[in-house]
Amino acid sequence: MRGRKKDSGEKKNDLQGFRLTRRKFLKLTAIAGLSAGTFGIDKVSPEAFATSSFPSGSRGRWIPTSCLNCSSRCGISVKVEHGRVVQIKGNRLSLVSEGQICPRGHIGLQVLYDPERIFTPLKRSQPKKGKGIDPQWKPISWDQAIEEITRKLRSLRESHIPHHLLLFSGLNSRSHEDLILRFAEAYGTPNLVSGEGLDDEAERAGRWMGDGHFEPFVYDLDHTHYILSFGADLIESAPPVARWLRKWGKIRRERSIRAKVVDIQPRYSLTASKSDEWIPIHPGTDAALAMGIAHVILKEGLFEEEFIKRWTVGFEPYRELVLKEYRPESVSKITGIPAEVIYRVAREFGQTRPALAIGGKGALAWPGGSYTSYAIHCLNALVGSLDTPGGVLYQEFPEYRALPKIEGDEIGRKGLEQVPIDFRRTELFPVARVVTNQIPKSLREGKPYPIEMAIGFNSNFMMTAPGSGEWGEALKRIPFYVHISPFVSEMAQFADILLPATTYLEEWGYEHSSPGGGFVEVRIKQPVMKPMGESKSIGDILFLLAERIPGTVTNAFRRIGSSVEEFVRFRTSSFVGWEEFLKKGVWRGPGYEYRKYSRIFQTPSRKFEFLSGNLKMLQNGKKKMMGQAAPLMPCYTKVKWLGEERQYPLLLFPYQPLLTFENGSQNYPWAQEIFLPMQGVGWASPAEINPETAAQLNLKDRDRIWIESPFGKIQNSVKLSEGVPPNLVCIPLGQGHTSYGRWQKGIGCNPNEIIGVDFDRLSGQSTFFNTRIKLYKA
Amino acid sequence: MPKWGMVIDLDKCVGCQACVIACKEENNVPHGSPEEQRSRREIFWHKMIAVTRGKYPHFRVELLPMPCMQCDHPPCVTVCPAKATFRREDGIIMQSYRRCIGCKYCMVACPYGARSFNYKAQEGKPYHHQDEPPDRKSWEPWPFPTRTQGVVEKCTFCFHRIDQGLREGKKIGIEVVPACVEACPSQARTFGDLDDPQSPVTKLLASRASFRLREELSTHPKVIYLSR
Amino acid sequence: MEMNYSTINGTSRGYKILMVFLGAMVGVFITSFLVAYLKGQQVWGVSNIIPWGQLITFYIYFIGLSAGAIIISSLSYVFRKETYEPIGRLAVFMGILLMIGAMIFVMVDLGRPEKAWRLFMYFYLNNMSSLFAINSIFYTGYITLMLIYLWLIFEGKKQLAVVLGTIDVLWAIAVHMGTGAIFGLIGNREIFFSPIKPFEFLMAALTSGTSLIILIAVVTFKLTRRLIHEELIFSLSRLLRSIILILLVTVFVDKLTHLYFPNREATLYLLTGDYWWIFWIFQIGMGIGFPLFLLTWSKTKKSIRWVIIAALSVVLGVFGERAALVIPGTAHPQPFFPGKMEGPWGEPAIFPITFWESLLSLSIVSLVVLLFVIGLRYLEILPEGRAEGKS
Ligand SMILES: Nc1nc2c(c(=O)[nH]1)N[C@H]1C(S)=C(S)[C@@H](COP(=O)(O)OP(=O)(O)OC[C@H]3O[C@@H](n4cnc5c(=O)[nH]c(N)nc54)[C@H](O)[C@@H]3O)O[C@H]1N2
Ligand SMILES: Nc1nc2c(c(=O)[nH]1)N[C@H]1C(S)=C(S)[C@@H](COP(=O)(O)OP(=O)(O)OC[C@H]3O[C@@H](n4cnc5c(=O)[nH]c(N)nc54)[C@H](O)[C@@H]3O)O[C@H]1N2
Ligand code: SF4
Ligand code: SF4
Ligand code: SF4
Ligand code: SF4
Ligand code: SF4
Ligand SMILES: [Mo]
Repeated sequence: MRGRKKDSGEKKNDLQGFRLTRRKFLKLTAIAGLSAGTFGIDKVSPEAFATSSFPSGSRGRWIPTSCLNCSSRCGISVKVEHGRVVQIKGNRLSLVSEGQICPRGHIGLQVLYDPERIFTPLKRSQPKKGKGIDPQWKPISWDQAIEEITRKLRSLRESHIPHHLLLFSGLNSRSHEDLILRFAEAYGTPNLVSGEGLDDEAERAGRWMGDGHFEPFVYDLDHTHYILSFGADLIESAPPVARWLRKWGKIRRERSIRAKVVDIQPRYSLTASKSDEWIPIHPGTDAALAMGIAHVILKEGLFEEEFIKRWTVGFEPYRELVLKEYRPESVSKITGIPAEVIYRVAREFGQTRPALAIGGKGALAWPGGSYTSYAIHCLNALVGSLDTPGGVLYQEFPEYRALPKIEGDEIGRKGLEQVPIDFRRTELFPVARVVTNQIPKSLREGKPYPIEMAIGFNSNFMMTAPGSGEWGEALKRIPFYVHISPFVSEMAQFADILLPATTYLEEWGYEHSSPGGGFVEVRIKQPVMKPMGESKSIGDILFLLAERIPGTVTNAFRRIGSSVEEFVRFRTSSFVGWEEFLKKGVWRGPGYEYRKYSRIFQTPSRKFEFLSGNLKMLQNGKKKMMGQAAPLMPCYTKVKWLGEERQYPLLLFPYQPLLTFENGSQNYPWAQEIFLPMQGVGWASPAEINPETAAQLNLKDRDRIWIESPFGKIQNSVKLSEGVPPNLVCIPLGQGHTSYGRWQKGIGCNPNEIIGVDFDRLSGQSTFFNTRIKLYKA
Repeated sequence: MPKWGMVIDLDKCVGCQACVIACKEENNVPHGSPEEQRSRREIFWHKMIAVTRGKYPHFRVELLPMPCMQCDHPPCVTVCPAKATFRREDGIIMQSYRRCIGCKYCMVACPYGARSFNYKAQEGKPYHHQDEPPDRKSWEPWPFPTRTQGVVEKCTFCFHRIDQGLREGKKIGIEVVPACVEACPSQARTFGDLDDPQSPVTKLLASRASFRLREELSTHPKVIYLSR
Repeated sequence: MEMNYSTINGTSRGYKILMVFLGAMVGVFITSFLVAYLKGQQVWGVSNIIPWGQLITFYIYFIGLSAGAIIISSLSYVFRKETYEPIGRLAVFMGILLMIGAMIFVMVDLGRPEKAWRLFMYFYLNNMSSLFAINSIFYTGYITLMLIYLWLIFEGKKQLAVVLGTIDVLWAIAVHMGTGAIFGLIGNREIFFSPIKPFEFLMAALTSGTSLIILIAVVTFKLTRRLIHEELIFSLSRLLRSIILILLVTVFVDKLTHLYFPNREATLYLLTGDYWWIFWIFQIGMGIGFPLFLLTWSKTKKSIRWVIIAALSVVLGVFGERAALVIPGTAHPQPFFPGKMEGPWGEPAIFPITFWESLLSLSIVSLVVLLFVIGLRYLEILPEGRAEGKS
């Protein structure tokens, strides 16, 4: 997920040298102190938490903890009555979302009490693996489970092939991410694969090209006056979700100046409906539009001269490129947006300060998406919206107490030196940190080496990765697969041993957001009730495993405590007292300081670069990871579609509605029954098509159809909608589960089954939108 | 006597439906199933409707969060033979499960589709609130929030929060608000006394263009929308 | 001339089979009631959009039949039209039974039938602006009056019967108009809302009541081998024709009012939507057009058989009329906000015909028939066969 694991100060296999280490950076910030430009984040007093707006006379207790239904990890307050969890609301003290949560936050109740949770370790007795094959689970004891798993783990190490262990990490708490990472390092495998390759890698890479931060963008929503959104569903999915929902109300009607929001995306989304203007764009052409807008800004001198002169390099070649190649008239032909509109929007953007350009996955999860992200980043730089009130911010991260160094042995060191099986940071994916969707291919081909064993921590790439069918084929080939999650997810169906994890309401941890609000905020995750059944938190399971892998692993874990609770206490003790943390649930650092230009740019020139020095270094570096022809400036490249236009005339367009639980589980009736507010329906994921298209294909509302791509076909029902352009087929994500749960199984379809596997080569980002399809009646 | 009302700012509303879910969470409102959606038997005290206009690319969707409108002239009360739905002095249109005979006349007469019938015995859930202890002063609505099969139910403006808040001397509308108002992440909802010139709702109403649903019926809803 | 009445002797094979069948239907009634009571109304077709279904349709239908029957009976006992004497007692008796049937229908439709008593706590626990509460006065009064009326007739207290009959007729009119008002006063439902709805109800009651009496008279007289006075039937049929004409005008005015002004969406839905057939085929075709034709055309109006067919058509047609009110009346989405509402809230609902609801309806109808047959067996309701035979 967003910043799923990288942000803890500890991570080693990060891109060294791409930026300052966070610790140094924080120190600098701290020294600079609370000088000019900090904004008041302390206006909510601790008392606010005590006066819950439900009268205090009622029974029950409110306990502060954190939500984990998506990667925003909001601070929440949970009400426990008679030992049962009955209500969830935002923790007033958390300022990332000003104490608000999104609707999914409340549904934590149904996550916790999901009737289909598993409560004991399970072992499969059906040797055959595959989609739809019943694993014939047999309950086993924890002791037996841990013993069987560690026996295998020990034997890999004994055979000097620790790198033949593959770890999958889905949506997990920061604390658990840190523990998983520590486990991988101590054990000696470089193959820790998170879902980030499915996530926002292109966005990060684009940012990195400009300012050297390989991080998602963070925006100062409080102060911005103009938002130009390229393919980000600001109030449906743009992270952090609850922050956006809250700030939307604020910027629209709680200030004297109402921010204007322009939503650029092909389909009429919820965000489009609530924005001031919706500009439909041809899919995959956002880079061209961004450059076209830059053209007007450059030509008409609307840019922030001061800033550009002092704090940027490469402006001249960039200006030349933009002026030469991206005239609004020609951009109009590419994007399908009238030139007048481009002129008008560009002028609005260029003349309103502060203004923000935002790129979402819709614009970036395309081949070449990094460059699109870069192009959008450059727009912000042009109008000086970097590290200013109302501009792009530089997220600050907490300084957790450092973990004792792992004293690795020879086996582990050798293992860590191996090429990771997803080929990150090779010529294939030069700046990638993780290439999630490369795994199936590597597993199938056994390259660069075979995988003997895998452990899945809460991941469900069988649902969420494009070409999800390939994951089934690949998982079958893992001789020993252990899955850890609270439910029997699609991926869990392939497990040899399945361990019952607790949900986030029953476990210890710490959380911080990235992206958040710029300032540092750490939130506690504490159990609001005893773990149900025999379930254990992922962290505690890691401690159990470590205990039985003598040597480096045992040592690495012994030194950080004996349970997650102790671990959390240890890590946070550097900045907050335990009792206070337990009571308030939130710790916040100093206010955010703007305009730290002299130290935020982590580029060779220490300035914002319109011509990327970071890329150039890759090109010229020792490893020669990038060809000489690769562009160093933002650019638009024509989309390479998967599938022939003649045979597959339509485009498949998945999106994430607000009530999608990060695609992991959807077994929640509260979310299901109101799943698609814009369509007024629930319990479904209909394919929305334009009535014109429907007429051509002779389809009516609710007809059953086949959706076929070069990679397969799925069945679905049709919903006519005027909000969809004639050549698109929009399908919400989150449905189409084939495993666990009477409230989700067999409902709707999962478009990932027929989406082709493709990447933004630079960042390893999976692409989601460039698959062609056709429709016909079922 | 105050007259409680709610103002929903459609410009701030993000269509997130936190209100819909928070209401279910607060009031033990049962969730539906695919079958119940098909047969239109889902229970919603608060619903969301989408109204569309136009053709691609000149298309528009308006999302309307709809609790019970708490009509000041409530047709449901007029038609209810059993006084099972009644108007409290503070203007809240209450529903008493004890008195309701399930004739469904109120559902026919409600212009806003705000009422739902219990077509079956509803399952208890581990996350349900237990019944609040009865308050002898306002005995009518108890037991609450438990209801049986065969009665009609609807939004009660979270009267239990208001009553308790008043008992504790809290400021209603500021310190104590209904669950849907509290849960609204964009803070598009405001609750307060429509008769009090100083209350947040009256101030808001004075500041912007507002409308109520189906005004031509003169039901005088106390849920008022601020236009976009 | 004094007319003599007798019971039927109930020895025939047909009678016994009928009794066994009807007895079995009592069992069916209890079962289907218990199923709905225990499992909830989910076993029926009703929904939050169409809260009233088959049972309420039958309920207003039966009330109509009852009121119609009573009004017809008045021809004999109040207006002293001798032609109608043979069916006088029959009409009153049917009036009572149909009303009881109607009450059963409305009681079992309640979500909590055991709380039905709450409907009858006049003024004390009731909200007297509710038409259900007002009607509960009408209904109890009505049944009481009818019982006394029938008793007076049996006792041969003719003077008193005139007085009571008069009150009873007026009361029946009130009962039925009150029932019409349940719908006609509901301002948010375009199809319901109409000042002449009570009057339309009354006219529909009269057509269906008259037709039912024609049918029942012919059927019972035939089955019990009594001769029936043709003039009686023709006279009833002329009456029927006039009321149908009035009904036609009423329906026309009602629909015209709703169609003329542009807020006609729901009415258009009624006329052309999913349930167009209930309106056009049942209400208009069978309830008005076809019988009017049969009763007007010289070739058919003089034939007992065609009159019977016309009566049957009216009886079914008026049932359709009731259904066309109750179901499409709520099925069409209410316009909460201008524009096209997406999803279920914007689509007309469909009322499914479900097994248990239909069974319950049929068994209640059977229950009424059972009471009727038992009544014939033990009460002197039908005129003596021979006496009739003389004319
Ligand atoms: N076609 C298409 N595909 C996409 C996308 C797209 O736009 N289009 N988006 C992509 C993106 S951006 C991402 S980030 C990925 C996300 O996809 P993944 O990275 O695969 O993440 P999830 O499957 O959401 O992982 C969540 C897992 O956690 C489990 N879980 C849920 N609640 C709890 C809990 O409380 N405790 C524990 N221990 N476990 C829990 C769930 O069972 C689930 O398996 O999907 C990608 N897939
Ligand atoms: N409710 C919910 N919230 C979530 C998640 C979730 O699963 N559910 N997941 C979280 C995660 S992991 C992520 S990465 C973020 C992603 O959040 P976003 O960055 O907002 O990405 P999407 O939700 O995929 O929305 C992308 C939008 O872009 C549009 N689009 C598609 N192609 C194009 C194009 O070529 N050009 C333009 N301009 N627009 C296009 C689509 O219509 C779609 O509405 O959301 C996070 N928040
Ligand atoms: S935004 Fe994500 S973390 Fe926050 S409340 Fe919603 S689901 Fe939970
Ligand atoms: S909206 Fe309906 S239920 Fe609510 S007060 Fe008005 S009429 Fe009654
Ligand atoms: S269903 Fe209940 S609340 Fe509604 S009118 Fe009947 S008795 Fe009153
Ligand atoms: S006021 Fe209370 S009962 Fe009414 S919709 Fe809001 S949360 Fe539900
Ligand atoms: S919770 Fe607030 S923002 Fe969300 S839909 Fe309801 S009213 Fe709108
Ligand atoms: Mo993501």
